[in-house]
Amino acid sequence: MAPLLSVNGLCKRFGEIVVADGVGFELTRGECLGVIGPNGAGKSSLLNLIVGLLTADAGSIMLDGEEISGLPPHRRARKGLGRAFQIPQPFPHLSVYENALVAASYGAGLYGDAAASWTMEVLQRTGLEAKADKLAGALPLIDRKRLEFAKALASKPKLILLDEIAAGLTEPEVERLVAVIKTVKADHAMIWIEHIPHALRAVSDRILVLDFGRKVLEGPPADVMDSAIVREIYMGLKADGVA
Amino acid sequence: MPTRTILAFSGLVLAAVVAGAPFVLNEGVLRLATECLLVLTMAQMWNLLAGYAGLVSLGHQVFIAFGAYALFLTSGWLEVTPIWVLPVAPLVAAIVAAIIAFPLFRLRDAYFSIAMWVFAEIVGAFTMKSQAVGGTSGMPLATSKLIDFDWFEPTMFWLAGALALGTIAALYRLMTSSFGLGLMSVRDNDLAAMSLGVDVRHNRFVAFVLSAAGCGLAGALSFMGNLFIAPLAAFDVNWSVYMMFIVIIGGIGTLEGPILGVIIFFGLRELMTGPLGLSGGWYLVGLGLIAVIVMMVAPRGIWPALRDRIGVRLLDVQRAAPRSSPATVASTVSERSAV
Repeated sequence: MAPLLSVNGLCKRFGEIVVADGVGFELTRGECLGVIGPNGAGKSSLLNLIVGLLTADAGSIMLDGEEISGLPPHRRARKGLGRAFQIPQPFPHLSVYENALVAASYGAGLYGDAAASWTMEVLQRTGLEAKADKLAGALPLIDRKRLEFAKALASKPKLILLDEIAAGLTEPEVERLVAVIKTVKADHAMIWIEHIPHALRAVSDRILVLDFGRKVLEGPPADVMDSAIVREIYMGLKADGVA
Repeated sequence: MPTRTILAFSGLVLAAVVAGAPFVLNEGVLRLATECLLVLTMAQMWNLLAGYAGLVSLGHQVFIAFGAYALFLTSGWLEVTPIWVLPVAPLVAAIVAAIIAFPLFRLRDAYFSIAMWVFAEIVGAFTMKSQAVGGTSGMPLATSKLIDFDWFEPTMFWLAGALALGTIAALYRLMTSSFGLGLMSVRDNDLAAMSLGVDVRHNRFVAFVLSAAGCGLAGALSFMGNLFIAPLAAFDVNWSVYMMFIVIIGGIGTLEGPILGVIIFFGLRELMTGPLGLSGGWYLVGLGLIAVIVMMVAPRGIWPALRDRIGVRLLDVQRAAPRSSPATVASTVSERSAV
């Protein structure tokens, strides 16, 4: 099966700071790639490069066999990218329903009744149906996180990009969110940045480790989590032969 | 939809009030009402750009001037009553906006505001140098002899009323459309909007051109009422300052805000210069004071604060979520029949 997303040799630097140094990986439909790494490793920058909020210095990003690295963010979104931000980015003065409707109308390109019913379906699936008419600015954190996910999903993406969507939530809240994410996994490719190992292990098929903008490891979750490199990066344990 | 019916009915009542007002009001009051309605239109247009597209223009007087000069010149060349060439005013303003959008949209925030102001000043300076349009001393409306002065003030009022009501109705329609949803998403969070597929730049362009066209038409009507135009009045930065005051005091990014702002703006002016007998300078002091207080107490303006407190929504553009999906309705019905 041809990969849905194929990233090759992605580079980006701000002066001396390198946020992406030849990053490459592939992803197929139904697959979830977990991304871990210490703060400043370039995880969010990687997502920003894929969605077009940052422009890569070099490298290619192929979505469904099409090069998207030259397109502006809104065009990439319409091609099938749905992103949930680390810090929720709601439209505070619009209702929850309208927030998701923006994604359904613009990202998914739906009109009228089709847009309305798809939006409601997404709100049902993400557990926001009862709050549909509430202003997004008045939501508690868990619902803001749900809304981030709902907006990403409502744009009918091929690839969903989640940036620390479980961060800051209580344990039961994380479990409920993970359950929702699992329900949509089969139909989408997914990239998920997260610091919560068990949440990531529950959903990811592979995990990619970033450090100083470089891919240092990629593999099955169990192998990666137990590897010497990850233990060194996260716990400061020195392992020989690794910079 | 009941809200739609109420709004349509209110619109009809207001249209009837506008139609009948000239037969009841004296000429002075009528002139004031005309001025209010034209400034209201300009404020709505400034709000469309600042409140929904996030572009704060300090040079909107340039569109007022372009509209007004276009009307005066076209009417003079064709030797027809100015009313028949009114469409040329928004057209010229829109074309100018569409052209200057290309360099100006490269600038953000304060740089855009200042560049707009500078552009207006440059065009103003050129106008003062151009003897063809009367230079510094300006020019009278060449075709004023074609105007029927028995009906001039009422006609001006009707045109201003139709423009103000038409503008609000059109903006309401726009905001309830899917393009309006895109505009409001940009207003709230442009980063999130573009990440969901909204073409922020295109939205800004459309809002900019529409805003210029509306100001061009309102400006043309305003100077047509004076029968005279001069660059110092047409290119006066105070046009933008007044629009900004009205929108910020009333409530930026709402359709009701500019209406409330215009009432406060003109109410205060009439109160202070009329019954209180104060000079125009004191009026500006009072206005500035109110603006500062509003910005500190209710940064989003008086209307949003009022709306949240009393829970009233006048021109509500929020889309209600569909009650329930057909599947849910069907299951509820079958459950009931089973019982």
